[in-house]
This record gives sequence, C-alpha cells and structure tokens, in this order.
Amino acid sequence: MSTTQLRLKPLRTKPRKPWTPSQIVLTLLGIAVSALFVAPIAAALFTSLKSEAEAAEIPPHWLPEVWTAQAWKALWKTGNITNWFVNSLVVSILVTAIVVTVAALAGYGFARTEFKGKTVLMGMVMAGLMISPAVLGVPLFTTVQQMGMVDTYWGMILPQCAPAAMVYILYKFFQGIPRELEEAAFIDGAGRWRIFFTIVVPLSRPSLAAVGIFTFIASWNNFLWPYMVTNNPDLMTMPNGIATVMNSYGIQWAQLMAGGLMAGLPLIIVFVFFQRQIVAGVAHTGLAGQ
Amino acid sequence: MGRPDLNRRHLLATAGGLAVAGSLAFAALGTGADALASGADTRVRYWNLFSGGDGANMIAMLDAFRKEHPGIDVKDSTLQWGNPFYTKLAMAAAGNHAPELGVMHMGRVAGFSPGRLLDPWDEDLLAKYGVRKADYNPALWNRGVIDGKLYALPLDVHVQLCFYRKDVLKKADLLGDDGRMIQVTSTDDWFDVLKKAKTVQKKGLQTIGLWTNDQNFQWWFFVAFYTQLGGTWFDDGDTEVLFDVDKATQVLEFFRKHVTDGYVIPGAPTGEQFINGAPFTWEGNWSVPVFSGAKLDYGATPLPPVFGKQATHAESHSFVLPHQAGRGGATNETAHELAAYVVTHAVQWAAGGHIPAYTPTLSTAAYKKLTPQNEYVSAMYHQATEPKVWFAGSTGVLAQDLGPLVVSSTMGSAKPAAVARTMKNHLTRLLASKNPMDGRTAAQGGAAA
Amino acid sequence: MTTSAETVIAPARTRTATATATATVRRNQGFQHGGWFVAPFLALFALFVVWPLLRGVYLSLTDANISGDGANFIGLDNYREALHDRAMWDALGHSAYFTLLVVPCITVLAFLLAMLAHHIERGKWLWRLCFFAPFLLPSTVAGNMWQWLFTQGIGLFNETFGLTTPWLTDKSYAMLAIVIETLWWTVGFSFLLYLAALQGIPDHLYEAAKLDGANAWHRTVHITLPMLRHITGLVIALQALASLQLFDQAVVMMDFGPGPELSTRSFVQYTLEQGFTSYRVGYASAMSVIFFVIIAAVALARMALLRNREEGTR
Repeated sequence: MSTTQLRLKPLRTKPRKPWTPSQIVLTLLGIAVSALFVAPIAAALFTSLKSEAEAAEIPPHWLPEVWTAQAWKALWKTGNITNWFVNSLVVSILVTAIVVTVAALAGYGFARTEFKGKTVLMGMVMAGLMISPAVLGVPLFTTVQQMGMVDTYWGMILPQCAPAAMVYILYKFFQGIPRELEEAAFIDGAGRWRIFFTIVVPLSRPSLAAVGIFTFIASWNNFLWPYMVTNNPDLMTMPNGIATVMNSYGIQWAQLMAGGLMAGLPLIIVFVFFQRQIVAGVAHTGLAGQ
Repeated sequence: MGRPDLNRRHLLATAGGLAVAGSLAFAALGTGADALASGADTRVRYWNLFSGGDGANMIAMLDAFRKEHPGIDVKDSTLQWGNPFYTKLAMAAAGNHAPELGVMHMGRVAGFSPGRLLDPWDEDLLAKYGVRKADYNPALWNRGVIDGKLYALPLDVHVQLCFYRKDVLKKADLLGDDGRMIQVTSTDDWFDVLKKAKTVQKKGLQTIGLWTNDQNFQWWFFVAFYTQLGGTWFDDGDTEVLFDVDKATQVLEFFRKHVTDGYVIPGAPTGEQFINGAPFTWEGNWSVPVFSGAKLDYGATPLPPVFGKQATHAESHSFVLPHQAGRGGATNETAHELAAYVVTHAVQWAAGGHIPAYTPTLSTAAYKKLTPQNEYVSAMYHQATEPKVWFAGSTGVLAQDLGPLVVSSTMGSAKPAAVARTMKNHLTRLLASKNPMDGRTAAQGGAAA
Repeated sequence: MTTSAETVIAPARTRTATATATATVRRNQGFQHGGWFVAPFLALFALFVVWPLLRGVYLSLTDANISGDGANFIGLDNYREALHDRAMWDALGHSAYFTLLVVPCITVLAFLLAMLAHHIERGKWLWRLCFFAPFLLPSTVAGNMWQWLFTQGIGLFNETFGLTTPWLTDKSYAMLAIVIETLWWTVGFSFLLYLAALQGIPDHLYEAAKLDGANAWHRTVHITLPMLRHITGLVIALQALASLQLFDQAVVMMDFGPGPELSTRSFVQYTLEQGFTSYRVGYASAMSVIFFVIIAAVALARMALLRNREEGTR
C-alpha cells in the first residue's frame, strides 16, 4: 500500500483539496444552479435543431425527435442574417476603436493636464453619466435626423461614441500612474504626446483592454439606439434585425432560436477563451463606479 | 520567451488594425452588403408587413415578377406587423431614406400625412401597366384619394370571420342542408349554438376563440358589433361625439358573457385550439391558409348578425409610395410596375383569404372555385369600418386607445358600463386633439379623407 | 518647494529639476495640450449628449412633429398635459414597479451566487461561465428565448414546472415574466462585481475570526457583509438606474405591444410611442426631460448617500 502511494504521488501535478461534506453539498448546489442558468440556452439550441412543426408542438419536449439543421440552413439561405452579422461587426469594431481612443485621450487630458474650465467640463462629464438613448431618445433622434444620419452606419456609430463612463474610468486610472515616470521622460525632452503614447499607453494596457472589451460587448448587444435610428433592414445589426424583421413566413421558433444563437454565441465563445480578461474588464469597469 | 509574445502581439495588433480599416471602408460605402452585391439595372426596395401565409403568397408573386423581369432587383423586407412597421416607414420617409414601395392599411393613410410622408401615384403610369379606376369599386378607390390625388392603391379587402368546424357542428346538428352553419339572428340564438356545440366538443378545449387578451382583435370585433347595432361615432362635421354608451355596453356585455359562461379559456392560443378541435374561432380571413393547410373540415362566415344587422369589420391593404425627395425616373416607374403586377395577379393573394380589390379577379373561374372564400365574399358589402379621422386605422391611435379598454371589460377587470363611459370620454378627447403632423383637429379637416 | 540647506546636493537638484519641469509643463504647454487631449471627446459629447439635451428642452416647449418642420412654440402646454396624462403615470408606475421587484431580487441573488462560486473549490471557471453567460446575450435574443419559454401550450417553462400560468397574456403575470427573464439575463453582471469584491477581502480577517472561534455564519455576517457594503450600494444603484430604463426585454416579450391591458408599458416605451407612433416629438421631448429629472434625482440621491456614509465612517 505505502509503496503504491509513494509511486503515485509524484504523478499528481498539484495537490487536490479533500472532498469535505460541505464541499460536496456546495458543488452539487452549484451544478443544480448552473443547470438552471444554462437550461434556456440549451433549450434554444435543441429547438433550433427541430423542424418548425416540432418546435410548435403541444405539449413541447426538450430534445428533438428528429434532429435537423433545416432552421440553420434556412437562415443562411434568406441571407439577412449574414448581412446583419457583418453590420454588427462593422458597428461594434468602429465604436470600440473610437471609444478607446477618444476616452483614453480625454481621460489623460482630465487627469494630467491643466486647461481653462477643466472642473466645469469634468462636472459636465459626470452629469453625462446619467444620459442614455433611453433617457433622451427622441431629441437624440431628431438631432441625428437633422444631421442627415438616419439609416447610416455613422448614425448608428457616433452617438455610441461619447461614453462619459469610460472617460471617467480611465481618468481614475491615469490619476494612479506615478507622476515621476512622466516627469523623467519630460526631462529627457519628450513632449506630452510622446509621453502619452510611449509611457502611459503601454502602462495602461489592461485598463484600455477592459474598456475595449466592455464597449464591444455593449455595442454588439445594443438594441435601443440602432432600433431607433435604422429602418432599412440592409443596415440593421443582429439584435435589431432579429427583433424587428421577421422572416416572411411568420414566427418560426426554430429559425428564431437559431438566429438568436448566431447573435449570442460569438460573445459566449470568446468568453470561454478570454474569461480572465473579460471578467477583469467587466469587474474593473463596474467597480470604477464606486 | 519575449519573442513569441511580441509576435503574437504584433499579429493581434495587425489583425485589429485590419478589422478597423475594413470596417471603416465598409461604413464609408454605407449601403449594406446586400445592396453592394446587387448587380441589377434597377433596384426596388419594397417594405411590407406580411407574415405567415400572406408572406408566402407575396413572395410567390414577387418571384413570378422577378422571373418575368430579370433586369429588376426586388429587395423585399418584411417588418414586424403593427406599429413597428408604421413607425419605421414614417421615420424612413421623414429621414428621406424611404423605400421605393410600401404597403399600408387604408385606414392609416389619412393620418400618415399624404404629401409629406407619402407621394401620390401617377395614374397614367398605373394605366400603362394595366390598372385603371374603372377596375375598382369606386368607394374603395376613393378611400385612397386625398385632395384629388391617389395616395393608396388598394390591393384587397380583409374581414373578420367566424370560423367553424363542420365535423364538430355536424354532431350537434348545427349545420344546414347546404352544409353550412345555421343562421343566427340574435344573441340568444348565438349562445344556444355555443351551448349545443360545447356538449359535443372535445374535453379540455375552449368552445370559441375570441382573442380575449388581444387589444387589436377585441377592438375589431367591437367595431363590427357596434356597427350591427347601428351605432355611430361622430357627426358629419366631426365636431360632436355621437358614441352611444348604451349600445357599447350591450356589445361589451355580449363579449363578457362568453367568458363568464365558460366558452372561452382566456389566453389559450386560438389557432392551435381550433386546429385541435375547438368548434369556433373568430379570426381574420388571413387564417384561411393556416386552417386549409391543416386539412380541417371547416367553414367561415362573416361575424354572426346577433344584433339583427349584417356587419363585419373590414380593412384594406394598399400600396403606397413613401416620400422620397428625388422620386422619379426608372425606380419610380418600376415601383408602379411592380404594384400593378401584384394587384392584377391577385388570385394567388386571394388564396390567403383576402378578397381581391381588383374586380376583374373576382369574376374569374379560379376565384369562384376557392372555398371557403366563396362563402364569405358577401362580407365585402357589409363592411364595418372605423370613422374616417386622422387618428383611426389599423393599430392607429384610436385602436391603441380604445382596444385595451375593450379587453379590460372582456377580461372582467372593469364593468362594461363603466368601460363604455370611459370609451366615450376618450373619443371626446381624441376628437378635440390635433393631428401632430398638421396641427389641425379632425373637425378642421386634419388631413381627413 | 524650498530645499533645506542640509539636503544632500544631488537629490535636491533632481527634485528642483522635477518641480521646475512640472511647472513648465503646466505653464507652457498646459492649456494647449490639455485642450487637444480632451477635444475629440468633447466634440462628440457636445454633439450627441449636450446638444440633444438642450434640443430636448427646446422641443418640449413646442408642438414639433416627426417630420422636423413647422414647430410652434407653445410654452409649458406639454408639461401641463403630461401632469394630467394617466397613461404616462401608469407607465412610470410600471417602470417603478419593475425596479422595485428587480433590484432587491438581483442584489440578493447575485450575492448568493457569488458566495457559492467563491466557496466551491473546484471548477471556478465553470460557475463563472454559467452564471455570467446569459449577460452576454443581446437583450432581444434573451427576450425571444423567454417569450418562447413562456408561451402557453408550446413553452417549456410551464411544461417543466407543471404549471398552466398564462405568463404573457394575463396582466397579473406579465410583469413577473419580464422580471424572471431579467433576473436570469442580468444577474451575471452584479455577480461578477460581488465575486471580485469577495476575492478582495483579505484572508487574515477570516483567519483571525477563526482563531476567535467564530463559525461560518458569524464570519459571513460580521466580516463578509460589512466588507461588501460599498459594493452592495454600487450594485443597487447601477441596477436601479438600469431597471428604470426598462424597454428592450419588455417590448420583445410582448411583441412590441404594451402587454395585456397595457400592464407592461414602461416609461421609455410610452415616450417612444408618443414620439415615433403618434409623431408627437414635442410631447415626447417633454416626457424625456421629465425622465431625465427623475434619473438625475436617483443618481444624486445615491451620491448624497455615499457622501453621508463616508463622513459617517470617518
């Protein structure tokens, strides 16, 4: 007995914690709760693999009796969904790029430079935290309408690019960078911009990534503003298209679920691979509001 | 160790840069992937609100059109029916991004600011593609004429119907010699019929589907039976509310009795119930293809004249030209051509249960053969419609305002008499309110017909 | 900034140099550079936040319609009408009711889930993934899923739990259905905040308590909960502000309608209906301004509370 144990021990990469009764109970509870959380997504996946008739059967059942990819094929055939996917990518990528750039510059400006009216402007930014398309939708729409940007990509993108919250988060972060680093570079003759790009940006990569990740998720999932500003189905993003443009054969639950998964799964898959960064990003942006 | 990391970072940066650049280029083009891919000479965007069987029929007609006109690219988009559709159409027209062709309910045209959000039809162009005023019921055609110009080209008349299961009614001895449901002329008759049907129906189902939770259907049914009672809305000058609270109460009590007497399971999906064996359901004629597709032995009559007079709620789909600042040229002509084609090839459309507006279709043998369409075609002559004011029309302000009230009475959350009084108050307020598009009340002719 | 005579020369020089450098940065390039750093953001902020706000206030004093021309100044008529608009107050009531239901539920649920994920020693990534994944779905997709789960007859929710509840068609259940969907969909975000906060509590506090003989329950009540006070305040505030702006999931689950007997029509939905369905941009703007005031009041209330508490702890 003792020899086997001795031989086995080195094979273990890390020491396992014992299965105490409380750990067993907690783990079982965790599994049960997780099942509740995953069930709707699993149900959607199974339904997307049913025929339309089976998806509307009374009473319903979880697993398809006949597995078929008809809903997914039909989605590809009608073509709208691929259009919307591309639109979602275009809008989310540009929003993210603009927000990260603009918010980093502004956060740095507010944290480390002096200019007239800084306090007043900072106060305005704080007030801006309270404004969203849900709050000011109608006037925002008429503004964009005046600019002739209804039903354009820019009309969807630009109003998402003034997030006071992101500026505030980066402002807080930049305040925490030791001034000495910048001052040393300044003595070496570097200008403000060079300091920003060669010292500040590399130092704040995790924070910028957090802001970028959060912005991308928010933009990819944004419904209200694209819903208000786009009428042309060619230009719609995934969440908007799925909700407002039905396929011409009525509500077909299997197709609707397949479309929903196409809109939702990319982020979930990305999450599986970049879990640590995304969790840090979301927690970071959320906690910054403290 | 640092090197592969650096490479990976470079790779990521390059990929990110390419993604941003690509997106930027795409956004600069600004048309969407589909429009880019289209290589046709003329591209017509056509927005409609047809889902279900209607959607399938419309697509079949469009496909036929495409086959005959290979140089024309028809991009049809189906938007969610009801207010999202009208909202999007209005906003697109206001923002000058409207499609070349659209579909609307006729009742909505008056409130849709013809001249500002809609462009008029060119009747000469329509004639060139085979559609003339003479081919229409004049009253129907004139509903689309405002200030002397045609703004809406009627496609159909659609009505609310009483669908019944012949197999079930036969067991209760409720079918006449012609194999159709026996005539009903009073509310007592009607509840007698329901009582008999209930004794023979399958257990666990409702006896009749009334859409008790749906503010649109409840409103349409209300308009039908209120009209049967001879009720009116406003005086001719649209200055005074003539709404009859007693008559309205009678209608509301009639609806409520279906629930209290247990003929309805509130919230149960009506179509599925009917297919599973419920003897009756009140639905729009657009359910015909659904029930025919399910191979049911059924019939359909106009809503029963329980208050003595025939009348059933009717509306019309029509083609409109949403406002475009630069309307004209080839795309505009193609929009006329496409609309004319669909209107004149409407036998396919009639398969969806609708009564074609283009009268030559009605006399074709193909149409006369359609059942149960031939059973209810008479509904065309007993139309109950909403008043002709700017706030009326399918899912318009009027329906949105009064529909939920009817539902609250039918569902029992408010007393019928109280609801009828509230309805009159709302009508008074609406009549005094101004059409936001031109600042005039209905009496001042706020874009009225 | 004076250097004492005793100071060794070398460091003193560096320090003076640094001080001078900072001063130079401030004096010479201060405004110019600072201004340019914040300029792009300020431009976007002015165009898409400040201007619409001002425009909203202006439009609220007119009878403007959706077409964007021919508006007349009508003073405070819109506000007067709004005060007497039963439908608007009902809609506000629905949003408030939703908020009152969601906020406490989410806060408690997020805390419990975080405690669970924090204390299970195995497979932490799995719990995080499961609890957080729904938050990554677009609102409309989550809404569609639950609309389908709740539909009578074909939905799996009633089927699974052996119920026959008319979730989406009865006014006493419709809002509850939306609340359940919202809990599932958004609890992941607050869960992550709690989890991060839990991981930030220093272990030595628990060790010390253990030595004093405190059991798990006592440790939770006397260490964990007090240490999470700040984060709880944050979760409640963020969730309240988000919940008051209810729109997406409600309209999707109700097929873009107002729900049975108008029971799920939120303030945002009613505002958009006035603006885009009834084309009354002026009136809708007045409601937007009213809503802005409400949201600002909630946010300011929270700031005041925070300040009080900070002063209290000091």
